[in-house]
Amino acid sequence: MTAGERRVKAEAGVEASGKACAVLGLFESAEDLLAAIPGLRDKGLGRLEAYTPYPVHGLDAALGHRRSPLAGMVLVMGFIGAVSAFLFQMWATGIDYPIVVGGKAPTAWQAFIPILFEVMVLFATFTAGLGMLLLMNRLPFYGHPILSSTAIGKITRDRFALSVEADSGPLDAEAARAALEEAGATEVEALPAPEPPGPWSANYLLKGLFAVGAACLVAGYVTYWAVKLFPVLPPMAHMEDQPRLDPQEPNAFFRDGRGMQAPPRGTVARGFLPYAPSSPEEADGLANPLPRTGSVLQRGRKAYRDHCAVCHGLLGDGVSTLTAAYGAKPANLQARAFRETPDGRIYDTIVRGKNAMPSYASHLSVEDRWAVVHFVRVLQRAQSATDEDLDRGGRP
Amino acid sequence: MRADAAVPEALKAPPLTDGPVTPASLDEQVLRFPETKPPRKWFVALAFTSSLMTMGMALIGYTISTGIGVWGNNRPVFWAFDIINFVFWVGIGHAGTLISAILFLFRKTWRNAIARFAEAMTIFAVMCAGLFPLIHVGRPWLAFWLFPYPNQRALWTNFRSPLLWDVFAVSTYFSVSLMFWYLGLIPDLASMRDRTESAFRKKVYTVLSLGWRGAASHWSHYEKAYLLLAGLATGLVLSVHSVVSFDFAVSLVPGWHMTIFPPYFVAGAIFAGFAMVVIVLVVVRESMDLKNLITDFHLEVMNKVILGMSCLMAYSYLMEGFTAWYSMNPYLHHVFRQYVGGTYGWAGLLTISCNVLIPQILWFRKARRSYFWMIFVSVAVTVGMWFERFVIIVISLHQDYLPSSWHVYKPTLVDFGILFGSFGLFFTLVLLFARVLPVIATTEMKMVLPGAQPERHGGP
Repeated sequence: MTAGERRVKAEAGVEASGKACAVLGLFESAEDLLAAIPGLRDKGLGRLEAYTPYPVHGLDAALGHRRSPLAGMVLVMGFIGAVSAFLFQMWATGIDYPIVVGGKAPTAWQAFIPILFEVMVLFATFTAGLGMLLLMNRLPFYGHPILSSTAIGKITRDRFALSVEADSGPLDAEAARAALEEAGATEVEALPAPEPPGPWSANYLLKGLFAVGAACLVAGYVTYWAVKLFPVLPPMAHMEDQPRLDPQEPNAFFRDGRGMQAPPRGTVARGFLPYAPSSPEEADGLANPLPRTGSVLQRGRKAYRDHCAVCHGLLGDGVSTLTAAYGAKPANLQARAFRETPDGRIYDTIVRGKNAMPSYASHLSVEDRWAVVHFVRVLQRAQSATDEDLDRGGRP
Repeated sequence: MRADAAVPEALKAPPLTDGPVTPASLDEQVLRFPETKPPRKWFVALAFTSSLMTMGMALIGYTISTGIGVWGNNRPVFWAFDIINFVFWVGIGHAGTLISAILFLFRKTWRNAIARFAEAMTIFAVMCAGLFPLIHVGRPWLAFWLFPYPNQRALWTNFRSPLLWDVFAVSTYFSVSLMFWYLGLIPDLASMRDRTESAFRKKVYTVLSLGWRGAASHWSHYEKAYLLLAGLATGLVLSVHSVVSFDFAVSLVPGWHMTIFPPYFVAGAIFAGFAMVVIVLVVVRESMDLKNLITDFHLEVMNKVILGMSCLMAYSYLMEGFTAWYSMNPYLHHVFRQYVGGTYGWAGLLTISCNVLIPQILWFRKARRSYFWMIFVSVAVTVGMWFERFVIIVISLHQDYLPSSWHVYKPTLVDFGILFGSFGLFFTLVLLFARVLPVIATTEMKMVLPGAQPERHGGP
């Protein structure tokens, strides 16, 4: 038995058992199809539906179809898209995390228009396209009997089919066949009832789409508040994630397990020449290599205020706020003994420290130390001014 | 209704097809391609384009793994080939939407024969375009940061940035184009489903055609949806290239900060797109023997559009120059002098000759109907429009406000490799499309064939 014979037999079965849900006849041209419709409508055998290879003008009116409601749906959804895009931008940029761009108020709305337009078009397009397929035409649907009929190959090529379909009651297949043949249809064929929609049909897809949309909204809402209320995740900051060793960190790279290595023995860092004198007395002969210029004195003042003034006082008089806390008694640099101390000895004290004073060699570079020495001399001179200084008009 | 006798011969619409075409012969001619084995020359072409594409993809991989320092971009020319190519490809896409949507709204039935191909080219061009901003961000795996979603940084995207508008515009454009194209394909896929002999193809086409059965009630919604989509796509296509132009016009760079940019960019996009459509159509109609469906008339109309757009480009260039001169802004004057003189002056002159001077040959009917001249003009326009974006982007950037940061931009081989790779990607997709899906919208053609519609509803 060939496929054709099997189909003929099945079809006969469909018709004999009275299970035919539709009877379909083919017409040669759109003209013939359109001409046949009024007569069949008058007979009232069932719902009429036409199947054509392309949209035929005038068919909607002849079959009494309502105007498609898609335009209204698209208008509404486009409006919803526009409003939600606008409100979202306004809320995100103006309220939730206000950002000033180009000196405009965070709620300046003009710059939100392009995205408003795009989202409006997006909503409207998906409404038009998916609304047409899923909602209005109930496609995809693979279980319609016409898809497995003999006529479908001709319908999607160049023939026009008219079918009388069971409306509310059962279909009188014989009467329908006779009426179609009378109207001029060739190749009349009876079709069984449609199969129930499978999992990939419009109903399920629509529900799935709504479920995905709702899930996205809920997930977004939950994430938003979760991030706000429980900021447990470290913020993503790829630039901060650097393979780097901090000064005191241990590290297995070197054999001694230290991250920071001491300089090799015998090397001299720039600006840190070894200090020759072995005792304070030997240092007495050192001469200050720096000239007494304004910039050197400025440098000395900065270094003095940063490192020395905290104990020796801003004026070098040994009066400071820290003495009470430490119970030490810093030297009063204004004392006669210090005024007569050679530069080298002060330098030596900075390098080695003296009594309770620690070494400042690691804090001050060689230049800074000599600049401090100059500045100490300035302080001393300023505090021991005489009446003659006034006569000289303040000049030293 | 026929008052045809009163219409002079010159104003009558020419026939849409050469020789008699029936719906059945149309199906036989167009839908047989996916069912037959492609000829050898198709495989040769595919091998060539796909190796170009592979080279481009390999260089993109190299760029991503090494960093975009392998490109020639350097301060102050931070945008160069990547953004040029992006604007170029988005522009190519616009012709498809113009043909499928705007000409549909104008009821130009000749568009039905070329709409499918042009729409497919739109989608492929937008795919090529999207590639470039993606790789230009340097870390493409984080590109999703461009979308506003609740994140652990508690930050939203900057909705006032034209670059973000671009993200929305281009992704919307791609979705809408895809939707438009696919809706048009559904009835054709149903035709292929019902005529194929192979069980495997039948299965594929069945799934893809969504069980389309051509019911009159379905057509009624379908036509409405198609009309609505055409209207939406029309607004969209104008907005997309306007938004692309905002990337430049909203900034303060001399040469970019111009109010003429949105219409100027849209006109340029349609110009370049039509040129590309002409190139591809000529090849398709010759190699697939579709001369009776894509007639000389089609090519001539396309060439007329190119000519019109060329005049519009000339106007834009003049207007841009006038605006610059009239602004009395020394920076702007300087940049415009650089457009036609200076290091890259040749690029500006090339742009003007390719986009304004060469297309003028299309004033002659002979040229509009000659393969040689139309291909010559179209290739010139494609080159010219690419260089127009080069002029706008690179020349404006390479000498900015601070002379100390001036820099002569030199593209690297990687830049060129990725550009040619994108052409490879585009033509590979075009070639695959030509053999896998119906290259001509058969359903839309059937609709306008003589005798297709009943007498009192617009039939003959």
